[in-house]
Amino acid sequence: MSGKFYTPDGFNDTIPEVCAFKKDAENKLRNLYARHGFTEIETPGYEYCDIYTKPGFVAEEDLFKLTDTKGRLLCARFDGTVPAARYAATIAKDTLPLRLFYIENMYRYNQAGGGKQCEFTQAGVELMGISGSDSDAGIIALAISSALETGVTDIQVTIGQTGLFEGAAAQMGFDEDTKSLIRQAIVSKDSVTIERTAKELGLSDRDKETLLMFAESTGSFEINDDLKSRFTDKGALEAIKNLEEITEALEDYGYGKYISVDPGLIGSQGYYTGMIFKGHTYEVGFPIFGGGRYDKTVGVFGREMECVGFSLGLSLAVTALLRQGLKPEMPKAEVVIGYEKGNRDARCTAITMAEQMRSEGTVVILDTSCSDEEALSRFADENGIETVMFFDGGKE
Amino acid sequence: MLTIALSKGRLAEQAIDLLEKAGYDCTAAKEKSRKLILEDEKTGLRFILAKPADVPTYVEYGAADLGVVGKDTLLEEGRQLYEVIDLGFGKCRMCVAGPKDLTSDKLDRIPNKRVGTKYPNITRAYFEGVKKESVEIIKLNGSVELAPLIGLSEVIVDIVESGRTLYENGLDVIETVADISARVVVNRVSMQMKADEIKPMIEKLKKQVELNNEM
Repeated sequence: MSGKFYTPDGFNDTIPEVCAFKKDAENKLRNLYARHGFTEIETPGYEYCDIYTKPGFVAEEDLFKLTDTKGRLLCARFDGTVPAARYAATIAKDTLPLRLFYIENMYRYNQAGGGKQCEFTQAGVELMGISGSDSDAGIIALAISSALETGVTDIQVTIGQTGLFEGAAAQMGFDEDTKSLIRQAIVSKDSVTIERTAKELGLSDRDKETLLMFAESTGSFEINDDLKSRFTDKGALEAIKNLEEITEALEDYGYGKYISVDPGLIGSQGYYTGMIFKGHTYEVGFPIFGGGRYDKTVGVFGREMECVGFSLGLSLAVTALLRQGLKPEMPKAEVVIGYEKGNRDARCTAITMAEQMRSEGTVVILDTSCSDEEALSRFADENGIETVMFFDGGKE
Repeated sequence: MLTIALSKGRLAEQAIDLLEKAGYDCTAAKEKSRKLILEDEKTGLRFILAKPADVPTYVEYGAADLGVVGKDTLLEEGRQLYEVIDLGFGKCRMCVAGPKDLTSDKLDRIPNKRVGTKYPNITRAYFEGVKKESVEIIKLNGSVELAPLIGLSEVIVDIVESGRTLYENGLDVIETVADISARVVVNRVSMQMKADEIKPMIEKLKKQVELNNEM
């Protein structure tokens, strides 16, 4: 027989050892979010492509597509935020704020390797209908708690604000092309392009320094008077205040040690409208969580709403933990119970015994292969099962 | 421990030279052997020698923290990386080249032209994105100059250093697509998680590059 008896590119089996571990992490997160008053939502596995492509959130080629029975274009769920925004705008009639969370598989083309797959699990949280620095900080804190809950402890979170670059661009009078060129240069920390462009535009040294600050400020960055004196734009000054308030609040959560401000974190597509953050850890080359404020997204679906949220790459977190040396363990059978073949009395006793022990929380395998006592002992030895019980009708 | 991915060949030698001048002990990297991983526990540096086109991949996935690679490879691979220093060596241009008598104007008038290249992504981005026209791209793996000579394509997109190979084959540069030189790239997570090691290295390398440029 010939055929493609392997999984498609970018799709993997989650083997039992890893699966047990991953599901355990999912349950911990589900409980964590529930304790914070968030309710779980399941959105459809397929949406109309339009919800992603019409507002320009996602490029068409990044979506897994198929058609419905009427020939309309559908795509597999790309993320959790856009469907949640659609839901919030069109279906949810609850009083605001909405506190939603999801743990779902996402599907993306143009992803590959390094723990990044076309199909991967994300846990995410959306707080809809509230603005303000305290909400921003609360969401970052919950993201940090999520990572800690899964067992990832070496976390560094960078926090940026889209208003800073927007303000700088407005102050310096950039046209759209220049702005997008500089934005791209900042995103890739390409100071070469910034210096060249600053020269071409004839910017002052101070303005050039400000732009370079966006690109070169990794590690320890301080919000100080020098930073404030660089901005006259109202939005930028509000952004700085927002960052100050967020870092202060995160101190109160006890999470000060995990965070740093990075003005270069400005978002590449203009999807975020305020605070924006990313969480990193060792052994995976990609951020394991990220999020921010997106006040314009729900409005696209017809109901203005201020929102902040994040998603955590559960598959990435699991990869990180495995590479950081975690040895996942499968839940192990403790008892195996056998019975004499064809002996109904023995079988009844065995079933009763198995059910009773299971109800007490013991992991029990009922041997339905009807092996004899000797074979059953061998099976138990080979699989590290401590207790063997065998029923042969009264004679036990 | 920092892992640095180098593009096998001349670029690797120049990068090692620069690192040494900037004060990093690269004895391990200069070892003459066929080893692909050259590690020195004392200095905390590990070098991997990779094919140039693979360097951005190693760095994007975080298998290497930093890499030294030509801008041509970066443009072609389009990976998500921090591109932090222009090292100033390995300079050349990415060009559209063709027969000597083919001017830019004449080129624009050829409909559905065929372009031979080792760099299909750069070629597509240039013709579709900048010149707003569709072309037929013929992917080649070397001696690209052959293509217009024997009628496989009208023009080529390739790296031009001195231009000698072009001239000796009756070809010439028609348009410049991009200026190329060696760059230092950094993984986005490493930049954050290993900032203590990476930031000083970037600063020292930048200073050294400035000194080189002044000379």
